[in-house]
Amino acid sequence: MSRNTEAALVGLAAALAGAGAVLAPLADGDLPTYDVLLAPAVFLAAFGGLLLAVRRWAPRATRTLLPLAAFLTAVGWVEVSRLDRDLGRLQLWWLLVGTALAGTTLFVLRRRGVGVLRRYRYLFLVTGLGLLLLPLLPSSWPVRGLTLNGSRLWVRFQAGDLSLSFQPGEAAKILIVAFLASYLADRHRALTGMPRRLGPLSLPEPRQLLPVLLAFGVSFAVLVYQRDLGASVLLFLVFAAMLFAATGRFAYPAAALALLAGGGLAAYQYFGHVRLRVEAWLHPFADFAGTGYQVAQGLFALGSGGLTGTGLGAGRPDLIPAAATDFVFAAVSEELGLAGGLAVIAAYALLVAAGFGIALRARDPFRKLLAGGLTLTLAVQTVLIVGGILRLLPLTGITLPFMSYGGSSLLANLVLVALLARISHEEGS
Amino acid sequence: MPPLALHLLKIGFITALYIFLWVVGRGIAGHLKRESARSEAPTVAITESPTQAGMTFRVSGPLILGRSPEADVVLQDPYASDFHIRLAFQGGEVRLHDLGSTNGTQVNGERVVAPLALRRGDRVQVGQTIMEIR
Repeated sequence: MSRNTEAALVGLAAALAGAGAVLAPLADGDLPTYDVLLAPAVFLAAFGGLLLAVRRWAPRATRTLLPLAAFLTAVGWVEVSRLDRDLGRLQLWWLLVGTALAGTTLFVLRRRGVGVLRRYRYLFLVTGLGLLLLPLLPSSWPVRGLTLNGSRLWVRFQAGDLSLSFQPGEAAKILIVAFLASYLADRHRALTGMPRRLGPLSLPEPRQLLPVLLAFGVSFAVLVYQRDLGASVLLFLVFAAMLFAATGRFAYPAAALALLAGGGLAAYQYFGHVRLRVEAWLHPFADFAGTGYQVAQGLFALGSGGLTGTGLGAGRPDLIPAAATDFVFAAVSEELGLAGGLAVIAAYALLVAAGFGIALRARDPFRKLLAGGLTLTLAVQTVLIVGGILRLLPLTGITLPFMSYGGSSLLANLVLVALLARISHEEGS
Repeated sequence: MPPLALHLLKIGFITALYIFLWVVGRGIAGHLKRESARSEAPTVAITESPTQAGMTFRVSGPLILGRSPEADVVLQDPYASDFHIRLAFQGGEVRLHDLGSTNGTQVNGERVVAPLALRRGDRVQVGQTIMEIR
């Protein structure tokens, strides 16, 4: 893809946001608001600026990443803004902050590259775990945890009248992937050797398994104390997949699946919030007005969309609880139909393909694992939430990368794309 | 707005989504094609030899070159050892390993003392045979 195509695609993504801002009000017979001009301008400024940053500080980067990120953000924004105009405008601010942060990441890494991150792995681990556990801060402190919809995964910072809420887990996932990439790049040989035998099974040295158990412990703690099924499963699956990528041993994913099954059964037995999720997954219509309501409304949305959807602004995605965040995929599929939903999934598939391509071409284990781990984070997160909406998996309340409304999520994923761009820049040097 | 116009606008929007993805997909496909062309097994051509000049072979897996009839590539060269060198294609490069040959191996005129990676255009001399990586 040439430089001009890349720039044209970023422009096209901005135009899609503008077109969405025209189409949604037209369906109600309303005149478009000034969002029609504001949205393309902000998209052009944000992604155009990031494009310039990539060209300046990572000029050999793969040119497919930014257009796909812009595409997903634009389609997501169209739906979020159609659901709630004020949220849409807030999201434009987050987009500007996020691309600025991604550009800053590229600037900081411009000389020493991502290799420098390898040195700070324990800092990343401690910060990542700290951020994960931050929402457990008592509710009376100026920086305090916040329980929303039964999950304690928000932190609110309050100084006088000014308050700011964020989901620290979103940043934590990048830090923990960076830690794992660095750790596994050093240890993958020790983890690949399986000297112990137990009947037909070959096992690695028991102490090499400690980090696996630690990851399981952290994931389980997140599940128990924060009641955050999504982050818990995401962390654990990404960790298991990275272990497999680093060693090529099937023993690790097999052990991880066994732990997941065991942990899942135990969680089902002992935690009400997990049991509710599973019940709503298997029998969404058994308690339609109660626990099954969200999943059922999501299914209605998918069904009423049909092949090409009701049209932007013509459906009723507002009936789905959390339509702009967790269920934005259902909302898009209702108004743009199967065709729109498949386009979104295709965009994620291309993004993941580009990410794994970067991992394959990267020149050392750390860069390979970092690129692979970041891509896996995107992929697993997308599969978990889209699978939950399609009722292939129990619903886990996590954001759909780039598309869901939410500053923390958008910021984290834009930084993630900047890191991938930087790794792909370094592959040739 | 008449419903038909709204319907057409919607179809137009969805079409724009797919055009976007098609262009990106083509970009990724082109990238992959170039990549696989680069990682494709290189060809080795014998440029000078008493009898085998013009012969070519591909280094897809490990190959042993030597005078022995059991070598993967049999060199008709009285100055070559039975098992002279091993060529292997791994990680996108051809690695050359001298298997303790009597008369040694030269790459671009320099005697090989340790296993090394070859680049395209390198000239490898075994006895009287000279071959080029392509």
